[in-house]
Amino acid sequence: MEPELAIGLPAAGSVCVAALRARPRAAIAAGALLGLVGLAVIAVSVPGRPSSQLGVTLSLSTESRSLLIAAAVALALVVALAPFLVERATLLMWGLAGLAGMAVIAAATSIEMIIMAVLALAVMQAASAGRRSFATRIRGPVLAVALLALAAAAARSEGPSILSRLAAVGLVAGLSAALGTLPYIHQFDPDERTATSPIPWMAFLGPVLALAVLTRARDLIPSEGGAVGAMVIGLGLLNMVWGSVASWRTENGAAAWHYSFMADWGLALCGFGLAIADGERAALLVLYGMLLSRLPLYLWSRQSLREKRPNDRPINLLAAAMLAGSAPFAGFAARVLLLRAATQLYWPLAMVIGLGLLLWLPPSLRLGRSLGLPRGRQAWGVGIALAINLVIGLYPQPFLSLAGL
Amino acid sequence: MTEAAAFAAWLGAAVIVLSDGRRGLALGLAVTTLAFAVLAWVVGRDALAAAAVLLGGGAAVILRLRAGADVWGVMPPGSTPRLVLSIAGGLLALWISTTLMTDPGAQLRFAALSVVGLMGARALTATESGAVLTALAALALAVAVAAGMADTGPGPAPFVVAALIAAGVSAIRIIEPNGA
Repeated sequence: MEPELAIGLPAAGSVCVAALRARPRAAIAAGALLGLVGLAVIAVSVPGRPSSQLGVTLSLSTESRSLLIAAAVALALVVALAPFLVERATLLMWGLAGLAGMAVIAAATSIEMIIMAVLALAVMQAASAGRRSFATRIRGPVLAVALLALAAAAARSEGPSILSRLAAVGLVAGLSAALGTLPYIHQFDPDERTATSPIPWMAFLGPVLALAVLTRARDLIPSEGGAVGAMVIGLGLLNMVWGSVASWRTENGAAAWHYSFMADWGLALCGFGLAIADGERAALLVLYGMLLSRLPLYLWSRQSLREKRPNDRPINLLAAAMLAGSAPFAGFAARVLLLRAATQLYWPLAMVIGLGLLLWLPPSLRLGRSLGLPRGRQAWGVGIALAINLVIGLYPQPFLSLAGL
Repeated sequence: MTEAAAFAAWLGAAVIVLSDGRRGLALGLAVTTLAFAVLAWVVGRDALAAAAVLLGGGAAVILRLRAGADVWGVMPPGSTPRLVLSIAGGLLALWISTTLMTDPGAQLRFAALSVVGLMGARALTATESGAVLTALAALALAVAVAAGMADTGPGPAPFVVAALIAAGVSAIRIIEPNGA
């Protein structure tokens, strides 16, 4: 029953918030209550235990469960400490809807259910009022849906080996299109609301989706594990270099954050592609950092970016250090694990990744400055995000154990 | 019968690709829905799945007829590339499902592959929200039909979910940022 509740409670919370929008306090209270109960259900659920209460077999894996918990905590953090100009009820409504969708993706046992969840989430997000047209916003996720569906069909059919190769290409390309990483970067409007922008696909829904698709890829095409891994590593390196250089050189501050998520995805994809324990650990730490630190910091930097108030206080330098993956933050542990995994597999790859890591420093300094001088709730938020990242960096094992690694 | 249903699924998808008006889009969706319902019933031997497709697709057709330009809009001027896409996409899906893929069930494969491919292309190239939403409704149904290619039958669940998505997507009214 836990997977059904993990889906149903956040969904009910989102509906409650939408229904009570005229009374924001009641909406936030109802949504927060249902969301917190949903989080508790996810936390106490037994990973791997299948449930078919609704006629669909659902089961949460250990890794998916840990990322769902991280996403729920990130949502609680950004809603509780949202900047004053942000409408918290709207943020909570979209966040809970996303969380329900992520729970479907995490618990689905067939790739078709994952594809349909992506389609439903894409339509919901694109249909809401935003600055880009509906057709533009839906384009990336629809490409992902079509590619994943064609790949699943190819994987399930008998025929020459080229079919399973095509399935591998389709799954990796579909995942990239859903996330909005290179070569399928979603169009980004710096002035658009975060909930309707491509950021949720990269930084909120993306981690659970990537894990689900890559896990299903292993089941669907077990013979092509090497090909999938090689493609994922290739995409990872490309995004790492492109994302960090673009984040450094682009003129717009919000676009710099968008590219920085892409660079982080480069690291995570390299970790997943290596397909050994250290690589998966590294990927998971990067994703924890993205959910619990980079995403909240991006939201808190928006006001300062609009007002063009960069700052060089110690808090900005600390944030820059965290974003760059310096010791003792979580990014450092992730990078060490990634380099160790790459060395175990093929040492020149470790050299390439190591060189790529040097590109993180200039954009991180820029992003840290873009936070301005955080005050009030924002200052608390930045402090908490830094503290969480520091704890994960210093004691990563409990967080990895939560994911069964 | 299954061969005719598979051909009809492609034909319906081709009409969606070639249409801009709400009547043309609804006609294409209706033909595809009927074809998928027949395939779910005959090939999948699942009456509940067939009923779900019929109900969800039917609701989507009715909702599509209530919004958008009240014209057929089939093959408006400049639609030659779309015609070429429909025919080439169908031929490619036919070749893949009958020659490249060798296991039984070519009709189901052809229907699913051709509709997924054509609807993906339509949703990516269209700028008018009615056409995109119609393509998405048909795409959801095609994804459920593709689930029928699994060795172990998927059961009615994907079809029920797809039917809900198809109807839900068609009920949405899009307000474009420029007021168009």
